[in-house]
Amino acid sequence: MVLRRYLYGLMLLIAFALPASAATIVVDVRDPQGAPLRDAVVYAAPEGRGLEPATRTAVMDQKDRTFVPHVLPVQTGTAVKFPNSDDIQHEVYSFSPAKTFQLPLYKGTPANPIVFTTAGVVTLGCNIHDKMNAYIVILDTPYFAKTEAGGRVEVRIPAGKYAVHVWHPDMRDEPTPQSVSIGEGDRSELAFTVTAAPAALTSAPLNRLEEKFKKYGNARP
Amino acid sequence: MPGRSFQAKLVYLLIGVLVLLQTVTLAAIHIAGVRSLHRNLTEELRVGSRVLERILAARGRQLSDSVRVLAADFGFREAIASHDRNTIGSVLANHGSRIAADAAFLIDLDGKVTADTIEQTIVGKPFPFPKLIRTAEHAGEASSIVSLGGRPYQLVIVPVLAPRAIAWVCMGFQIDETVLRDFQRLTALDISLSTLDEAGRPLLISTLPQSVQTELLAQMVRQPPQNEPVEATLKFADSPYETLTEPLKTGDRSRITTVIQRSLEEARRSYRSLELQIVLFSTLALVGAIVAAMFFARGVIRPLHRLADNAQRIERGDYTAAVEIEQDDEIGKLATAFNRMRTGIAERELQVIHQATHDGLTGLPNRTLFLDRLEHAIAAVKRTGDSVGMIMMDLDRFKEINDTLGHHFGDQLLNEIGRRLNQSLRESDTVARLGGDEFGVSFNAREPEHALDVAHRIADSLEASFILGGVSIDVKASMGIAIYPLHADDAGSLMKRADIAMYDAKKHHTSIALYEAGRDEHSVRRLSLLSELRQAIQRGELELYYQPSISFRTGRVSYAEALVRWNHPTHGRMNPDEFIPLAEQSGTIGALTKWVLRNGIRECAEWSRQGSPLTISVNLSALDLFDSELPTYISGLLTDANLPPMSLVLEITESAIMRDPAYALKILRELKSRGTRLAVDDFGTGYSSLAHLKRLPVDELKIDKSFVLNLSSQSTDDAVIVRSTIELGHNMGLTVIAEGVENVEALDILKRLGCDMAQGYYMSPPLPAEKFRRWIVESRWAVAERNASVEAG
Repeated sequence: MVLRRYLYGLMLLIAFALPASAATIVVDVRDPQGAPLRDAVVYAAPEGRGLEPATRTAVMDQKDRTFVPHVLPVQTGTAVKFPNSDDIQHEVYSFSPAKTFQLPLYKGTPANPIVFTTAGVVTLGCNIHDKMNAYIVILDTPYFAKTEAGGRVEVRIPAGKYAVHVWHPDMRDEPTPQSVSIGEGDRSELAFTVTAAPAALTSAPLNRLEEKFKKYGNARP
Repeated sequence: MPGRSFQAKLVYLLIGVLVLLQTVTLAAIHIAGVRSLHRNLTEELRVGSRVLERILAARGRQLSDSVRVLAADFGFREAIASHDRNTIGSVLANHGSRIAADAAFLIDLDGKVTADTIEQTIVGKPFPFPKLIRTAEHAGEASSIVSLGGRPYQLVIVPVLAPRAIAWVCMGFQIDETVLRDFQRLTALDISLSTLDEAGRPLLISTLPQSVQTELLAQMVRQPPQNEPVEATLKFADSPYETLTEPLKTGDRSRITTVIQRSLEEARRSYRSLELQIVLFSTLALVGAIVAAMFFARGVIRPLHRLADNAQRIERGDYTAAVEIEQDDEIGKLATAFNRMRTGIAERELQVIHQATHDGLTGLPNRTLFLDRLEHAIAAVKRTGDSVGMIMMDLDRFKEINDTLGHHFGDQLLNEIGRRLNQSLRESDTVARLGGDEFGVSFNAREPEHALDVAHRIADSLEASFILGGVSIDVKASMGIAIYPLHADDAGSLMKRADIAMYDAKKHHTSIALYEAGRDEHSVRRLSLLSELRQAIQRGELELYYQPSISFRTGRVSYAEALVRWNHPTHGRMNPDEFIPLAEQSGTIGALTKWVLRNGIRECAEWSRQGSPLTISVNLSALDLFDSELPTYISGLLTDANLPPMSLVLEITESAIMRDPAYALKILRELKSRGTRLAVDDFGTGYSSLAHLKRLPVDELKIDKSFVLNLSSQSTDDAVIVRSTIELGHNMGLTVIAEGVENVEALDILKRLGCDMAQGYYMSPPLPAEKFRRWIVESRWAVAERNASVEAG
């Protein structure tokens, strides 16, 4: 809980750090059946101007044999810490081209965070817990947000021209980005439909043995 | 035994039925067995087909798990993620060999082959089994049977998760003989997979022996595989195989055919031993049944044999043996009925024999049986040297008894006589009724005296009066005795001679007569006389004798009885007793009587002419009384001789009148009306009642000589009879004549008793005509008055 409050604080800080002459885009992400999707990353890439990489830090925690959060959008240059809040060891790895790394079995927080400098998606796994996975979405823009259960999110951006993208871990293909030109104080509403990829490709099936172990894991408060 | 015996037929039938039944049963079992075997085999093959499916599915799952584990290997994933083609190729080969995969492929998420272990020809090309990927995308894994390089493979595909899918890994496992051998061990069925190799040549993987494989392969080439399962019995290497051919489900379009087989011979082998056992037991049962059938048949037949034997004995007349069959069935009933029939027949035969050999009235043996017994008795004594006596007995005057007292009475009398005869004789003696009033008795006799004893015993038994239905009657019998071997050599002649003796007894009124040797020859002589008698009249061999009767009143001769004699050329002079019966039998009596009448009347006329007018008396036979012309004939003779009718007396015996009293009476009245005188001859020997006598138109009675012969002062009985008769005759107005006067004493008695006339040897025997003519004039009783007196002596 402490961490979440901290994160909220961080987000507010980011929001207020933006220039006052800001505009807002509201994005609605749903699946083809019209159900709202959570954990969708919405980001707006400004057209015609580069942005400085971030020097911020982010945290990908491991709790109850789960990566938290499941999806973590960061701006390029962000250093991400991988603390282990479980009482068992994890071995975090990524074979993703954006960043291939491996954190050999460990407990607690490793001394050095990993800095993600290349935009792309890094798929995280735990070498000893096949079921554990998470995504770090590395973006070249600071204007991004992640949908909650309602599937609706607001991104505050300076007025200007943007290409608005949506990424979701289960998607088969990325929906076509939508261009938006937004003026000072404007509010633009956008909607995306995301088609899910086959489940077999996105997550390993639970085998019975693992379920048993999971049960042991859950036995702890 | 002619033809087949019933027993054999029965046994053959039973055996035939049994064999037929067994054969049909065995055939049915065999057919059902073969059908069931076929059905079972077919079912086995179908089960085999399903088992194969399961085995392959299970193998697929098992392989999937193996591949999945393999794909989760970190090193493997790391190598895949390296994107280095050579590394990837080596890790595929390395890890594939860990789970004994025959082929391995790596496919990117776009469906392009990035690496393989076979030939690198398809790298960079789309994976040839995209359907497999599509299935795995949903199920997380997929397995399928495909033809790879012309060989059947089981392919398994799973994603490589890192942890999100980064590629597909596909491993192939060849379906080879090892897999098929597993199947064979599990199902005991032969299995073959047939497909085409890369070059299009047929390929066979099989558990069958090599030789059979070759043939099967040839057959597969000839007959392209069907899409539907086909069941058939195919012949390989000369042995039949039950075969199920069906296409294997494959993930591609490749044609793989499974051929599941079971050798029929092998399957039949176990069934054969079962059948052999059934046949063995059936045969044993059949043999047992046949033995039982034979016993049964014998059990049925034996009583029939016994019945048949018994029937044959009955046929021979042996009724003694009963059929002893103690059975409660039809045969037992038959035997019981048979026994009843046997006793019935025996009883009836006895009855018939009894009727045939016995007299119905008296129950005594009849002539047949008597003769038979006589023969037996003679046969018996031929060995011992003893004698057999035989008595022939005839009742005196039985006919009269019958006529007067009725047949019923006569029958009763015969019955009673039979009873008395039996009582008077010994058990061993035989009494028989030979017919009418004739009885025969046979007995063992040592000597003739013994036979006489028997005859006297019989006579004694008849002595007592018979009292029947309130009527008392005395019966006399005449008995003739003949003795074997004294008088005859056989039963027939013994009977004949006893008969002759009996007639002698009758004739001589002696009751009992023993056969005299030579009497039979005499009777034979009689037979020839019978024929000679006819000619005797013409030849003039007959001669009349005359016996006088004197009158007590005048003391002179007044009558002459004409008595015929036969001067036979060889036998000499014969008395009428000898030939009159013959004349009666031969029918010449009529002529004889007429001859006597003619000559007698002529002689009488001669006497008159000589001055001695006598009355002539002539005997009439019973048969003469039936000659209605006789009265006319007599009248004619008398007229011709110029004699008054009064000068003729016709003598008739009582018995002659009794033959047919009515007719006789008519003739007698006729004669009487013509003036002829009539006399009753031999009076006292017959049965004529007084009432009867009274109706007769007679003038004279001639007392039988048997009463007169012994007439003396000592014998009072005869005197009483004679006196009574004389008184009776006188009372009826008749002249009484006594015959048989042989001495003066009798003559005196008769005179004293008031008899009218007398005849006999004392006066004169019958004399020839010449002598008699002299006697008439010369004797003391001459017609001429010469002071002769009857009061002589």
